[in-house]
Amino acid sequence: MKWSRVKTVAIKEIIEIWRDKLYLSMAFMIPTMMMVVLGFGLSMDVEKIPFVAVDYDQSQQSRDYLHRFIDSRYFDYRGMKAHEKLAEPLMMQNKVRFILVIPPGFQRDLLQGQRVQIQPVIDGLFTFQAKVVKGYVSAINANYNQELMTQWLKKKQGMNSHEIAALLQPVTLETRYLYNEKLSSLWSTGSGMIMLVMLMAPAILTALGVVREKESGSIFNIYASTVTRSEFIIGKILPYVLISMLNLLILSWMALVLFGVPFKGDPLLYLTASLFYVSCATGIGMLVSTMVKTQASAALITMLGTMIPGIMMSGLLMPVNSMETAARVEAHLLPAMYQLNIVWGSFLKGQGWPELGTNVMVLAGYAILLWSLSIWRFRKRVNS
Amino acid sequence: MPAIIEVSQLTKCYRKHPAVKSVDLNVSQGEIYGLIGPDGAGKSSVMQILAGVLRYDSGQVKVFGQSLASDKDAETIKSRIGFMPQGLGLNLYPELTIEENINFFADLRNVPKDEREQRKQQLLDMTQLNAFRDRPMKNLSGGMKQKLGLVCTLIHKPELVILDEPTTGVDPVSRRDFWEILSYLVQHEQMTALVSTSYMDEAERFQNLSFFYEGKVLAQGEPDSILEDVKGWVAECYCGEALTFYQHLKTLFSQVEIIGERMRIVALGSSKEDFEMQLNNLLKEFGLVHDLFIRPIELEDVFIGLLARWRQKESDNDIQQQAGAIEVSAIQFEERPAFDPKELMIEAKSLSRFFGDFVAVDEVSFDVKAGEIFGLLGANGAGKSTAIKMLTGLLKPSQGYGHISQSSLKDSGIDIKQKIGYMSQSFSLYADLTVHENLKLYGQIYGVSRGKLKSRIEWALKMGSLQAETDTLAGRLPMGLRQRLALGCALLHEPKVLFLDEPTSGVDPLGRQQFWEILVSLAKLNGVAILVTTHYMSEAEHCDNLALMQSGRIVAQGSPQSLRQQVADDLGQVISIRVDRPYDALSILKKAQYEQASLFGKRVHLFSLNPEQTLSEIEQILHTQQVMIRGIQQLSPSLEDVFIHFIETEHSDAAHSKEVS
Amino acid sequence: MNRLWWIRVYALTKKELLQFSRDIVLLFAVAWFFTAEIYIAGSGVSMELNNASVVVLDHDRSEASREWISQLKQPYYNVLGHAQSQQQANVMLDKGEVIGVFEIPADFQKKLLLNQQTSIQLQLDASNIILGTLANSYSGLMNAEYNQQWMLKNLKVVDPDSIQVPMVEERQKINYNPEGKSTWFMPISDMMTVITLLSLFLPAAIVVREKERGTIEQLSVAPLSPFQILFPKILAAEIIILIGVAVCIFGIIGNVFQVPFRGSLLSFFMVTMVFVYAVSGLGLFISSVSRNLGQALMVSFMLLMPMLLLSGAWTPRESMPDFQQYLMFLSPLSYYIDIGYSIILKGATLQLMWQPLLQLFGLGTLLFWFGIWQFKRQFN
Repeated sequence: MKWSRVKTVAIKEIIEIWRDKLYLSMAFMIPTMMMVVLGFGLSMDVEKIPFVAVDYDQSQQSRDYLHRFIDSRYFDYRGMKAHEKLAEPLMMQNKVRFILVIPPGFQRDLLQGQRVQIQPVIDGLFTFQAKVVKGYVSAINANYNQELMTQWLKKKQGMNSHEIAALLQPVTLETRYLYNEKLSSLWSTGSGMIMLVMLMAPAILTALGVVREKESGSIFNIYASTVTRSEFIIGKILPYVLISMLNLLILSWMALVLFGVPFKGDPLLYLTASLFYVSCATGIGMLVSTMVKTQASAALITMLGTMIPGIMMSGLLMPVNSMETAARVEAHLLPAMYQLNIVWGSFLKGQGWPELGTNVMVLAGYAILLWSLSIWRFRKRVNS
Repeated sequence: MPAIIEVSQLTKCYRKHPAVKSVDLNVSQGEIYGLIGPDGAGKSSVMQILAGVLRYDSGQVKVFGQSLASDKDAETIKSRIGFMPQGLGLNLYPELTIEENINFFADLRNVPKDEREQRKQQLLDMTQLNAFRDRPMKNLSGGMKQKLGLVCTLIHKPELVILDEPTTGVDPVSRRDFWEILSYLVQHEQMTALVSTSYMDEAERFQNLSFFYEGKVLAQGEPDSILEDVKGWVAECYCGEALTFYQHLKTLFSQVEIIGERMRIVALGSSKEDFEMQLNNLLKEFGLVHDLFIRPIELEDVFIGLLARWRQKESDNDIQQQAGAIEVSAIQFEERPAFDPKELMIEAKSLSRFFGDFVAVDEVSFDVKAGEIFGLLGANGAGKSTAIKMLTGLLKPSQGYGHISQSSLKDSGIDIKQKIGYMSQSFSLYADLTVHENLKLYGQIYGVSRGKLKSRIEWALKMGSLQAETDTLAGRLPMGLRQRLALGCALLHEPKVLFLDEPTSGVDPLGRQQFWEILVSLAKLNGVAILVTTHYMSEAEHCDNLALMQSGRIVAQGSPQSLRQQVADDLGQVISIRVDRPYDALSILKKAQYEQASLFGKRVHLFSLNPEQTLSEIEQILHTQQVMIRGIQQLSPSLEDVFIHFIETEHSDAAHSKEVS
Repeated sequence: MNRLWWIRVYALTKKELLQFSRDIVLLFAVAWFFTAEIYIAGSGVSMELNNASVVVLDHDRSEASREWISQLKQPYYNVLGHAQSQQQANVMLDKGEVIGVFEIPADFQKKLLLNQQTSIQLQLDASNIILGTLANSYSGLMNAEYNQQWMLKNLKVVDPDSIQVPMVEERQKINYNPEGKSTWFMPISDMMTVITLLSLFLPAAIVVREKERGTIEQLSVAPLSPFQILFPKILAAEIIILIGVAVCIFGIIGNVFQVPFRGSLLSFFMVTMVFVYAVSGLGLFISSVSRNLGQALMVSFMLLMPMLLLSGAWTPRESMPDFQQYLMFLSPLSYYIDIGYSIILKGATLQLMWQPLLQLFGLGTLLFWFGIWQFKRQFN
């Protein structure tokens, strides 16, 4: 392998990209745009859930109960309806996700020391959201009950608040969120977007870069010349690795500044791993480009081939551990999961070589494998 | 001379479709070898195989004595080869400048730097690209792209260059320069060149050639020996519109054409005397008294004859192929329209079109009358298509105006569209619809009433001799039939004006001849005004009037006859001398102040206003240098000569007026 | 619009359908998208806490602590066992082997028996936000249940219903999908994604292909208005997609996943038609501005990614920042998801959904005419 020829191919590629302003701006704008839109948008925070109330009791007590919900940051109060029949269409129209119905006699029964049944109606459409809302409602209700009981037990049985608390809530569960203390979607999916965007964008960019030459016919210069396969593939791929590394730095900076994600880990490890990761991503694009002939099919295959595993199989939305066995095996066979470990490990968890070392190794191995496969698949003499 | 390329029984299939069928080919050192044939004939596949970039299925392929059986073997020859793939400048990098492109090719092949600079300078000087070193490739004209492609292919001093259709769509001046540079290099660097082309009139540029059709070689050898083997004659007579005579001749001879006012009859294999007698008798019989000129046939006639014979043979085996010859009587519209041959059907007045700063069409004016065929000639990018697009309403003119049979381009859009038929460059058919479905679709689009549609479709099928193919998918038709189907689609609504944008590019010569036969009949029988663009100079002979376009402007306009006459008056006749040492002859003549002499295979061509005197001078010069003259012919200037002449006079005029001001 | 007008539209629509029926690859792709793809996505993907690995750091090792731990049950949790030390637990957390560590204090049982409050620490890996949220929610509910049991036992109440205390008892009712099955949600979401993809790509691909082959010039020279050229392409896309939707709803969504179709089928098809019209307008726009299929794909991709992920197919709109909620008013998909889910799962009628339907129609018309305007413009 002659380094001078690798350089020739790489420099030509860089000049071409640099002068093609449309392509150049796409190369940098697409990742940034995806990062902003998806980072902010793909939010899993369940907050400000719109709800209406139907208060048949209209008493001091019922208003007090209702305010527990109105004052919660999880709920967004959208007004009072006179009857359930009037509230239900709102849920059908997706204008509210939750209806709180307070029955008549709410205050009377409670004051008499009786149990009251209420029926919160939750929209089950978004299963994840519904499950979380269910938890919130229970928590607010339990809190309210505890206060009610405390007052009642104090009055009736003369117990002190400590005793009452021990009776009503003997075990309190204190959750400490590790790595993402505020349970912020931006920290989690936001930083995870670095993994997703840097899988898709470099792959598509690289695939188009090579297939473009196939479509125009300039690939024949390579076929007909004395350049070896490895010289060409490496020379061709290096500029895209460079662009992707720049992009990765931009995205990481965005995560830090725009999303406010902390960086707790080892920058050197992060950069090394990221270099291997973008090498994988560009390698995927390169491999695809050795198999297809048109830009359209290259774009389509890389898109489908990276988007679905990137979202589904990486652990970004669906945890790898809760996947079915087959899917879990697949997740381990793809680079996305390892990079997500590195991104979250470096940004959120403050991990270093001991914890993430294996991930880095796997990515390096993966990159070498993909590049070798591309070189092996690339033919200087074609069948058609 | 040692053999550079030895190919025997070469076969190549794409999926199940055979592209090359047991081809034999031998090229020796120092020659310019030509592969001639229409699109899809298998030329490109053969060239790619020889360049070591395409695998093949079976056969023996040796380049420089090295077999190309395995991928590894193929690598070994690449340092000695230069390959330029098809498509003008498509293998170059548009964003890179001329110099950067050349450097890339040189560095890719590890040419040492000082050697690179020296070679680059030499090639840039030769191609006159030196002044444009820093211009990005995307801003070059077609001719410059072609030259740059050649420079890049030659930068590492290859022993063999393989050039795939280097002259397609290039203007005649650049084409001539190209041939000059190539012959110079072949001569001075002991290089061998394998060149493909779809222009039949370039055949005589080669020392040896193979004529390809449908993956097979139909003829092979030196151009002159191919001609000698066939031994045929062409008769030409000016007999105006003698349709009955023409129809009778068609029953006797396989190749009869009306070209403008001439009738052209080809007879293969018979002796000149017999042919002349037969024709004279026929002329008498029809009461026509006309001069008859009889000349030896040209290569294109040979190819057409070979194609016709080959097709005949195929159709004996295969009923599918029977769609063949044209029946002139079928071309007439149902009600023969009476037309006034003086009526203006197309009128363009100072039409211009700008794209930003770029002037695509510059003040173009012409008219076409009913029943007239008008040809726009020019290279790719000369502005022909843009001009047609403005007249059909696809593009708005930036300046000037035009009329299509009394409707102004400015304000009667749909009105015009109903009156015209249009056939675009790519034949514009739906490849996945059948012949009948295509016809029906266009009939309904043009609002042909249901009662009439059936008979119109039948008419179109008959006109194109497509009756046997009604249920074939259009994509499966051979080029020639596809082209006739496209024409049929454009004629369903019996338009008065027909626009054809490069209707014949890539079609084989026989198909092209038959297509022109239809066009001529359409114009003469039905009074259709036809505007046609083409970059085949030889086709332009069929037009009643021509306009030559270059860089958006019309450089000459008139009937083929008058244009030719003008050149003959300015420059004289063409003298064609066949010699035994063509390269030496050329340089001798150039030194002896015949600077415009040019090389055509083993012949040297030059112009002379006084042929007798020039001839005796030349004979003497060559004789003293011991160059053997094997034959001398006097030709009238071809349309290609006409084109070059007008472009050059315009250039020198422009340069002159610059100097004056 | 006279008879001739309709004959032309009919001829061109029929042409598109004929071409489509002969393109085996495309035919297969569309069939695959409407069946297998939806089946795979519907059955495979769920945002659910499933088998989440946890360890327990039990400093008490008492009967009470064991009882508490035993409540951490399948399918949500998978208790890997006991960690020996906080250090070991930390390592497991850091390596991602477990998602959470429950730390039970040494005096757990003692305090309970003394009627004192005690607390359990849950250290939860919140780097994955979904897991973190769900794990917290579930363990909270579970603990509440444990507390209630304890209280009843303490008050020696056998039948919890007989107890007389002031208490608000919540009988939560989850509407439309009471069991929270993601197989009722994902297939519909995926079907809508497929419809979006196809209604963007089909007309765009048809137009770009005609452009690449040059047939569009032939049509433009014919006496047809731009609308007449483009309208049949959309009509053909409508027909193909509606057939696909029918197959998908009856075959996969209704039959395989047993999703109840609560609203009117007719209304759903009508809304789908309006949606396809809107998105294909966008497709026409893209095809007019792009020169080749590759470019068209890139542009569609840039538009599709945010549209698909943010229109509410994955997360409800209200959880997005305000500026993006406004941005999504420009996405036809957000209206379609709104109306579509309501009709299928909620049984909403069109009277109820007329507002978003009208907005969708308005947006579609805007996009469609913009597409036609662009199409006209490209020739000049």
